[in-house]
Amino acid sequence: MIFGRWSKLAAVARRHGVLIVFIVLVTGMFATTSTFGTYQNLINVLQQNSIIGIIACGMTFAIILGGFDLSVGSMTALASVVGATLMIDLGTLGIPVGIIGAVAACLLVGATNGWLIAYLRVNPFVATLGTMTVVRGLIYVATNASPRFGVPYSFTTLGLGRLFGVPNPAILFLIVAALLGFVLHRTRFGHYVYAVGGNSVASVQMGVNAGRVRFAVYVLVSLCAAISGIILVGETATATPQAALGYELTAIAAVIVGGAPLGGGRGRMTGTIVGVFLLGVVANGLNLFGVSPFWQPVATGLILIAAVAFDGYSKRGGFGA
Amino acid sequence: MDGSTKATNALLSAERISKSFGAVVALQDATLHLPAGEITGLVGDNGAGKSALIKIISGVFTPDSGLIEFLGKPANFASPAEAREQGIETVYQDLALAGNLAVWANLYLGRELTVSPKFLHILDKRAMLSKTSEMLKRFIRDVPPIAEPVELLSGGQRQVVAIARAGAWGSKLILMDEPTAALGVVETKAVEEVIFELKRQGLTILVISHNLDQIFRVTDGVWVMRRGRVVGYRQKARTHPDEIVSMITGAAASAEAGA
Repeated sequence: MIFGRWSKLAAVARRHGVLIVFIVLVTGMFATTSTFGTYQNLINVLQQNSIIGIIACGMTFAIILGGFDLSVGSMTALASVVGATLMIDLGTLGIPVGIIGAVAACLLVGATNGWLIAYLRVNPFVATLGTMTVVRGLIYVATNASPRFGVPYSFTTLGLGRLFGVPNPAILFLIVAALLGFVLHRTRFGHYVYAVGGNSVASVQMGVNAGRVRFAVYVLVSLCAAISGIILVGETATATPQAALGYELTAIAAVIVGGAPLGGGRGRMTGTIVGVFLLGVVANGLNLFGVSPFWQPVATGLILIAAVAFDGYSKRGGFGA
Repeated sequence: MDGSTKATNALLSAERISKSFGAVVALQDATLHLPAGEITGLVGDNGAGKSALIKIISGVFTPDSGLIEFLGKPANFASPAEAREQGIETVYQDLALAGNLAVWANLYLGRELTVSPKFLHILDKRAMLSKTSEMLKRFIRDVPPIAEPVELLSGGQRQVVAIARAGAWGSKLILMDEPTAALGVVETKAVEEVIFELKRQGLTILVISHNLDQIFRVTDGVWVMRRGRVVGYRQKARTHPDEIVSMITGAAASAEAGA
């Protein structure tokens, strides 16, 4: 049965299902909407999805490990507030200080997540829900929940500038995705993320330091959130306490749509990238067709459910089994 | 005791090992020897202390008292990693394979080969793939597809991979806890062939099994445990399943006491 023609087709569909759907979607958009293929629109899609894309790259590690991180949205806002505030108050000197401060603040949260999950063995949902709420609350306390303006204009080059016609955030997304894809698929650390996510007991028995792998993954996720928050400052020139609300769920959705199940042990960086742009192109398409933006979460949710249902279907070879 | 005469050619000896967990006495003055190059069985009823004893030998537990000698030297291992370094591998009942990883990745789990520069820890997949076949062929006649995830293999193939992995790393002693408990007849036979192959290549093996037929098929001799004590050793050629059963249940001891 494994070598039957149909199951071979099913295997191809299972392995590349999201990619096929994505290609069909993009082709359809090109065919039906003249505005989709314009340079300006494609640039928009890249610009709008880079921040969530960078977060999703980190989230891919956490999900393959068998967990996830709900605090990424709060960390992104933290990086934006810490970074922008330092830049506003310290002027041009504030740019390097702001970047360092934003990264340090996020790493502190990431290390807390990692310590709770890896060494105190707190459930990732509980640990990161806790830090998500605490961090967002602290941001509101510190800023009185009001934004601050006046980041040096030169810094907006990072968020709004382009290199060879490509938005800088998209270039950073590409760099992060390539680098983390290499780490995940080529290095021993990435290999151990799969091993611990697949069978942590077996990994420990064979001498893998599962605690250290878990800790490092949550620190890595926080680093991605820091980069996203800094780019956000570059796009808005503002310290925004309400920034990135709900980004954690969009990022998790993109990773799952990209083929990494919540149970862990599976998934690829290329799948995550396709997942990010699949959700992004659908949102863009709804926009181009003049559909109210309120429909966008509906579409995201339906795609998520469809992707997971299809994955379960193709694994069991039939619904209801 | 019959077994003490074996001490001269023993690869490993455990002398008067005791271990309690709170008020529960798991092992009491347990003494056994594993003859070098032989397959030795370890039998006993549930709770007799078999698993506790091999966990002490493999460094998972430290004994409250008693001495373990391996290769003639004292060897109370602080961790399974330490025992593994000295050449003692354990094949666990729950297999210790990661189902989502390929056969080659499981074989090298925790011992991955990397390319230089070493500090980057970049995996040398090509080298691991090409060496995996050789390593498995030493012990397995039908090597399963090494690039496939382990979860696609049958239970027997998985157990064969787990045992071959234990033998592949230059180990001297392999401890197996119920290696065929979940397997069918054909798969059990394949696993037993791998066990024989390990012996043929000079390894010493300790097999825990509830299956007396299997004990009599594969081992050269058997230790019997009862209620935390080692009650005796019998060479396979000089005993009979009925005698082993009476030692397990304690019928032999009470008969002696009555006589």
